[in-house]
Amino acid sequence: MSPDYERFLVVGAALFALGAIGFLSRRNLILMVLSAEMMLHGVGLSLVTFSRLHQSLEGQAFTVFVLTVAACEAGLALSLILLLYQSKKSLDINVWTEAREADLPPPVEVSGVPSKDEPQVFPKLTPAGLPPDPSRFSSQPTRDINASPKKGGQS
Amino acid sequence: MGTPLLEILLPLPVGAAAVIWLLPSARRKPKIVAGILGVISLFLLGRVTHSSGSIERDVMFDVFAAVALVSGAMMVTDKSPAYSALWFALVTLAVCGLFFLQSAPFLAAASVIVYAGAIIVTFLFVLMLASQSGGSNYDQFPSHGVYATVAAFTLLGIMTCSIHRWSPDTKTDAIPGQLQTKAMVGTANPLSRANDTPTGSLHELGRSLFGDYLYAVELAGTLLLVATIGAIGIAPRRSQGTL
Repeated sequence: MSPDYERFLVVGAALFALGAIGFLSRRNLILMVLSAEMMLHGVGLSLVTFSRLHQSLEGQAFTVFVLTVAACEAGLALSLILLLYQSKKSLDINVWTEAREADLPPPVEVSGVPSKDEPQVFPKLTPAGLPPDPSRFSSQPTRDINASPKKGGQS
Repeated sequence: MGTPLLEILLPLPVGAAAVIWLLPSARRKPKIVAGILGVISLFLLGRVTHSSGSIERDVMFDVFAAVALVSGAMMVTDKSPAYSALWFALVTLAVCGLFFLQSAPFLAAASVIVYAGAIIVTFLFVLMLASQSGGSNYDQFPSHGVYATVAAFTLLGIMTCSIHRWSPDTKTDAIPGQLQTKAMVGTANPLSRANDTPTGSLHELGRSLFGDYLYAVELAGTLLLVATIGAIGIAPRRSQGTL
């Protein structure tokens, strides 16, 4: 079997570049974090390739540490995003541009017509199992699950 | 010497055009154009890479790499953040397949558990909770997507050039700066060197982690603990109201 290290490295670099596109262009806080995770995927793939190239396990050990740091980063980013979302009720990164340094100019605004006619599409999931029986929990005050998603889902 | 540089760089503008076409914008654009461009780009890319000589390995690599790259592009450009998170899960699974091809089964399993099992699910929870009922403006208009794509693909071109120039596949004689294909010699990290057992098995990796990198493992554990405490400290209290 002839060596084929180059194509793995190219795929790792391409994943890194795609993650960079997402981090630079997306305005959703969560998607920016996910793009950073995709860049970490590319780096991990390159490290594993180097590990095979050198016939040593150091690259794989490094990837384990990358995985650990990614998990820490995801947890911290999620709690930060929750905190930010609670104060502004939006995941938009442009809401937080006033947090910049005082002597910096405001970033260039993206021109876009806010289109409200296109509702957000969620994946359709087939229901599994029995629906919960509310009468079993009647002693506690229950929230009406069916009422909220129509308007103002984040009440 | 292998393929000329132009052939290596040819897939990149086509791929960049596909990503730019896919970027969300006000106009409604048919996705089939981006699909055709992406297929052309992947085909050009697959033509210049070296095959390993075994058909099964080639086919598996092609499938996993194509799934990873297409899902990555879709994740970056999808209008709906929930679908983006699901595309990211697909990227994770494809990368785990590539890990398997590189004889790293433990890493593949750990990545599936950590990424697809934990990170994606928690992010999906937050996305579903935090998304407005109407279409959110910030997901439909990316900021400077064309510039970002051009910059990232320029970076990718530079990386591809240098990878191809110092490729360990095409050269055998040692050149300064070239990636060495030989096993590492020397006494540093002796437990990380591969011996006769299969590389990347749990036994080998554990010997390397808890032998050469014992202090780093302890540090990583401390880092996890500190991150947990920090996440609990930062996250909003229940008394302040949840989402």
